[in-house]
Amino acid sequence: MRSLAGPAFLLVMFGGYAIYHLTSKEEGPSRKFTELEFAGADADHTGSCYSLDTVLFAQRAFSKATRTWTSPREDAWTLTLDEVVEGHAGPQSIFRKYTFEKHGDQVRLVSMEATEKVSIDLTTNIDELVDGPDDLDSTPVERCRAEGAKGYKFRPSRR
Amino acid sequence: MRVSLLIAILLALCAPLAGCKRSLSTRDVNEFVDRADDARRKLYAPEICALHGESFTQTVNFQGYMKNYGPTKIELNRKLFCQEAAKLSRIRAYKLERKSIDISLSADRKTAVVKAEYVETRPYYDPDTTPVSPDDFRDWQVIESLDESVVGIEGGDVVFLSAKSDAAQTLVPTKDLAVPFVVY
Repeated sequence: MRSLAGPAFLLVMFGGYAIYHLTSKEEGPSRKFTELEFAGADADHTGSCYSLDTVLFAQRAFSKATRTWTSPREDAWTLTLDEVVEGHAGPQSIFRKYTFEKHGDQVRLVSMEATEKVSIDLTTNIDELVDGPDDLDSTPVERCRAEGAKGYKFRPSRR
Repeated sequence: MRVSLLIAILLALCAPLAGCKRSLSTRDVNEFVDRADDARRKLYAPEICALHGESFTQTVNFQGYMKNYGPTKIELNRKLFCQEAAKLSRIRAYKLERKSIDISLSADRKTAVVKAEYVETRPYYDPDTTPVSPDDFRDWQVIESLDESVVGIEGGDVVFLSAKSDAAQTLVPTKDLAVPFVVY
């Protein structure tokens, strides 16, 4: 009986840690989802040459907003960005909600909600998101690393 | 031998509970608010943030210095509140004075409502310009606020559970006020 006390104690410790780890983890999409190529705003949904992860990293570089992920349905994730901006009238809160959905090997921006006065036009928002990695000269996805690769608004590395 | 070992283990397990709060006194709340005010004066976001509960929310009604605009209302969850606290870490001069405090304990002493008046002075950066350094400003903003916070116990620690704030801003030229530099 006494010989089981040690393993039992370890089991309780690791079990407790596992429960804490699983329940306290902030929800977000898997790498499998964020590593998909982000689709452009044209009718053919041409790939932008950047993964969603790269697009969102670039967006983060230009923003101080907080991020919260929720999943409205299978293969879809909504990213809510909240921030407070200073205006002449005082601080104002602004939110943007982007819903991304997996379509084959791509991830598309399928809907958008935002505070009044912030554009919810999908084309405008996709263009803004795609501009980020382009400005930062981020690494494109594998298929766009070859010479002459084409993508939505994609400009091969200028370096 | 086995009994003494068992007692030792039980004591060791109970030791952390001794530091946990189960109920509040006016003194506890007063000390907690003093600690929170000191954290704000240091402009150290992790310390400020740690004093706020996981489900903390804050509502702010803010009347800007331009009275022709009505007050703005913002609602912050804990994440956004902490982000705003982090933004303040860039400034170098800051003053926070508490003018009054009133504490009402609930009947079960699990929570308390704290009403406090503050005057906060910090640099005002014009929203239309981009400051080249933290010292690039012409006016101080003096923000007078009436805060109503609910303080409670979470995980054995005293924390802010929620807050409502009515604030009014005025601008004062930098030459007219001496504001201390923040010591990090």
